[in-house]
Amino acid sequence: MSMNEQLEQLKTRALQEIAAISGEEELQNLRVKYLGKKGELTSVMKGIGALTPEERPKLGQVVNAVRDLLEERIESVLQQTRKNARDAKLRSERIDVTLPGRQQPKGSKHPVSMVIEEVSDIFAGLGFQVAEGPEIELDYYNFEALNFPKDHPARDMQDTFFVENDLLLRTHTSPVQIRTMLNHAPPVRVIAPGTVYRCDYDATHSPMFHQIEGFMVDKGITFADLKGILTIFVTQYFGKEIGVRLRPSFFPFTEPSAEVDIACVICKGKGCRVCKQSGWLEILGAGMVDPEVFRHVQYDPESVSGFAFGMGIERIAMLKYGINDMRLLFENDLRFLRQF
Amino acid sequence: MIISYNWLKEFVDVDLSPADLSAMLTMLGLEVERMEERFTGMDSVVVALVQEKAQHPNADKLSVCKVNNGSEILDIVCGAQNFKAGDKVALAQIGTVLPGDFKIKRSKIRGEESCGMLCSEKELGIADESAGIMILPQDLQLGVPVFDALGMKDVIFEIGLTPNRSDCLSIIGIAREVAAKLGKKVRKQEFGIVEGDRKANEFASVTIEDADLCPRYAARYISGCKIGPSPSWLVERLTAVGMRSINNVVDVTNYVLMEYGHPLHAFDHDQLVEGRIVVKRAGEGERFTTLDDQERTLTAEDLTIRDGGRAVALAGIMGGQNSEISDSTVNILLESAWFNPSAIRRTSKRLGIHSESSHRFERGADIEAVPTALDRAASLICELAGGTIAAGMIDVYPAPYSPRAITLRQNRIEELLGIAITPEHTRQILESLECSIAVEGSDLCRVTVPSYRVDLEREIDLIEELARMFGYDNIPVTMPYARVSSDRPPLHQRLERKVRDLLVSSGFNEVVNFSFSPQDVPEKMLLPADDHRAVHVKLLNPLIDEHAVMRTTLLPGLLETSARNANFRVFNQRIFELRRVYLVKPDDDSPSEPLVLGGLLSGLRSPEGWNQGKDEVDFFDAKGVVENLFDALNVPAVKFESREIEPFYHPGKACTVFSAGERIGSIGEIHPTVQENYAIEKPVYYFELDMNRLVPKVSEKVAISAPSRFPDATRDIAMLLDDSVAADAISACVSALKIKEIEELFLFDLYKGEHIPAGQKSIAIRLRYRLPDRTLTDEEVTALHQRVVNALVNNLGAAIR
Repeated sequence: MSMNEQLEQLKTRALQEIAAISGEEELQNLRVKYLGKKGELTSVMKGIGALTPEERPKLGQVVNAVRDLLEERIESVLQQTRKNARDAKLRSERIDVTLPGRQQPKGSKHPVSMVIEEVSDIFAGLGFQVAEGPEIELDYYNFEALNFPKDHPARDMQDTFFVENDLLLRTHTSPVQIRTMLNHAPPVRVIAPGTVYRCDYDATHSPMFHQIEGFMVDKGITFADLKGILTIFVTQYFGKEIGVRLRPSFFPFTEPSAEVDIACVICKGKGCRVCKQSGWLEILGAGMVDPEVFRHVQYDPESVSGFAFGMGIERIAMLKYGINDMRLLFENDLRFLRQF
Repeated sequence: MIISYNWLKEFVDVDLSPADLSAMLTMLGLEVERMEERFTGMDSVVVALVQEKAQHPNADKLSVCKVNNGSEILDIVCGAQNFKAGDKVALAQIGTVLPGDFKIKRSKIRGEESCGMLCSEKELGIADESAGIMILPQDLQLGVPVFDALGMKDVIFEIGLTPNRSDCLSIIGIAREVAAKLGKKVRKQEFGIVEGDRKANEFASVTIEDADLCPRYAARYISGCKIGPSPSWLVERLTAVGMRSINNVVDVTNYVLMEYGHPLHAFDHDQLVEGRIVVKRAGEGERFTTLDDQERTLTAEDLTIRDGGRAVALAGIMGGQNSEISDSTVNILLESAWFNPSAIRRTSKRLGIHSESSHRFERGADIEAVPTALDRAASLICELAGGTIAAGMIDVYPAPYSPRAITLRQNRIEELLGIAITPEHTRQILESLECSIAVEGSDLCRVTVPSYRVDLEREIDLIEELARMFGYDNIPVTMPYARVSSDRPPLHQRLERKVRDLLVSSGFNEVVNFSFSPQDVPEKMLLPADDHRAVHVKLLNPLIDEHAVMRTTLLPGLLETSARNANFRVFNQRIFELRRVYLVKPDDDSPSEPLVLGGLLSGLRSPEGWNQGKDEVDFFDAKGVVENLFDALNVPAVKFESREIEPFYHPGKACTVFSAGERIGSIGEIHPTVQENYAIEKPVYYFELDMNRLVPKVSEKVAISAPSRFPDATRDIAMLLDDSVAADAISACVSALKIKEIEELFLFDLYKGEHIPAGQKSIAIRLRYRLPDRTLTDEEVTALHQRVVNALVNNLGAAIR
């Protein structure tokens, strides 16, 4: 058998063997068997000495061709084998991604806090500072200085919890107006969120609830400005498309006074159970600061004017989250609170 | 305040639909809270004629009738006796649903077919009682719905009146508003007074002794009345506006009260012993029985109407039992007066009587309406109860009302409202409100207001009226000229929000408990009697015992919240409250209201799940939360010490928290007794921080250093220590060496029990050595570490393992 024939035979055999196996280790062994230092190709090469110098380069070429072919074939199968092995491993590592992730305890802010923060942020953007005041308040600040005289029916608007020594639980955040104006010369631009109390307890009334008071006093402030500020607030908080209307009302400490309604957020003004078919929802009370109030804080009503407004936080939270019983907000049921 | 659409239309031509009227009233500040149609859905009850009436063949008490409903003749079986052929009646046709969900169906009654029902007033819901069926006037047209034919279809509006608008507590009052807005006039009511020969002052006299409380008292004497039921139109009117019919005379006083808004009172003159009316304050402690059969004890503040010596009415609030109108009353003394609002309010508040009358007087009635309302009522009484009005009205009015005039500056309107209203427009609006205007210069006028507008006293009141009638909707929307404010919110406000955010991100749910608390909280919390939190701010009028006082601590509310949630089987709890408590200050009437943070943990550390930890929270979870908070807020020089332990904690599992030497809070496991007192089964961990003390210590300035770029070297030490050596003694011992190469030290293992001698514990710490500017050599680290080991051995008695 000529060397060429031997090489041809070797090549055929090797290719058959490569095609038949798949393990990485077997392939490595095969490579050693044919291409290693003591491999079969090397053995064939040993016969090269018997050839003529003319024949030698020719045969060299043939040998190299066989070597390259086998190298390439082994390498290719090897790559494929490795890939198959990795693919198999990955397949075996498959997890059920529908199992729940590892949970941390889920915290939440109370809706009352959330609304206070959101509303405060809007007014902070309009240059309002946050002020505070005591909840156990003097009759003077809660009523008298806000133009609720003693023995006046206007006091019936706010059922009051009384404490000794002319003290009471503030029925609204408006006394903060008085305290602020007594301590600051105009201009003032303040909002005052806080806890207030009234003697009333049912599905729509809680003996404790929250309000945000806002007021602004400066030279030349008008009722039209009040409409401007409230319109900005409503569009920022409830959305641009929500209609606002002011209608006349009465509060002893503002004049003219207004109730502010927004188009019902549930039915968009068409009329539903929540808005009692009116298409409007009352969300806050407002008005121009009454000159009598200015007199109590030694502001001159002839040189400054201002407006005040107040809104119920719970009311806003209930509208925003579709809560229909105010008591839910104070039961502190974690199944309720964790939804926020 | 309820008004009727039909009644209103007697006084003003309303060309608006009820819905449009409702919207207009609301935009005038007379908020319509409810609108309801009366007698709707009963159009199938029609006027019908009884053409024949025959005895029912099988029943003595029934008749069989041929009834003409205007388009056909129907057979109707009827049980009533009070009608005859030729009468017009109310026929409820097949398909009608009468009040009480009574559906009319075709039926056979004792064998005779009946195609409908002839109705009584009671069945139609017009009257409480009725005898027989309703016989209608002959002039009604057949086939027309009965309630249309009778003009009874109506719409009622319930108006939520603000307390300033006493002038609108009547039909006429609302009519005035409607007329002003629509540019119409209120129709003046025509009624005649026919007086008898005898003079009123032959029967009665009036003396006002306390004119400060009663500046006007008028009366009329009506003799020979016959008390009886009111006619149906009167009953219907009163029913429509939510009042009950009593008898014709009392109903008239109520009718006029609703019409004019002026309260009246009728005395049975024969029950007045002297017939001499004296208006005077009651004697202190005087007893008086009002017509609701309640005996009241009066004070010298209460104004009474007296018959000579004895009280016969509580002025402006309620009449007396001793002189009330009864079925046998014949002669009447009718009172129309005006009483001081504050006095009425004080008495009505103290005695807890709130009547239609007191409601109007305390808000301010119209002193000039006194004679009109009196005459209107007297005239109606004569019409309905017969009787003769004695000649002359008694009218004691020592200091007659002088109209109030207010100066109005035209430019002030624009200054406050931001709208330019022309002087002509101003005049037109004010005149529509029945004000009269006298111009005084280009910018000034004097506005005289009508007597019923007791709320118009100042210029601003007129400006409000202008805005109201101009329409708030027509006022433009502008932005105020802003003087920019540049202050950030103060530190405590920013911190409050930061604390809330930090706790929420640590898995806490914020709760809001009532600020009220029951009185037994100190005992339940094991607080000693002299603890400052055992003294409460008390409410004088609590709603319930559980809300008797203001809370002095957040813990009870959080424990109750925890227990309530455990009842709902929510056991894994992390809750906090960041709110005020209320503490009595020894030398100040006004209590202090410090802001406190309270947090509570209970149950599992992680939510339950297939891949979650199963450990329960303990003291160190609570402490970790506080430490994280302090770290984030930069609270300086914090120490956790096991002294001054709060009585509501487990004495061995609690600490007091100090910052820069001041006590700022506490952490601990709740004492098992307290836990039992609040019916809590699982251990509960609590922390509390006094925000008012914490905030001043917080500094927002933090110096940050760049991390070293050189490799570290870590070394561990495992040692045995006596149990009494506190963990923080280790770090204190190491820090005392002042080795600047120690970058970090932490405790990574603690073990007690088997293989460790009793009274000892095994502790392992890890130290990380590093310099900012170069790599430490192994020799250097070894030498430093040896110093640490030596210190622990020598100073803490550590046995290195």
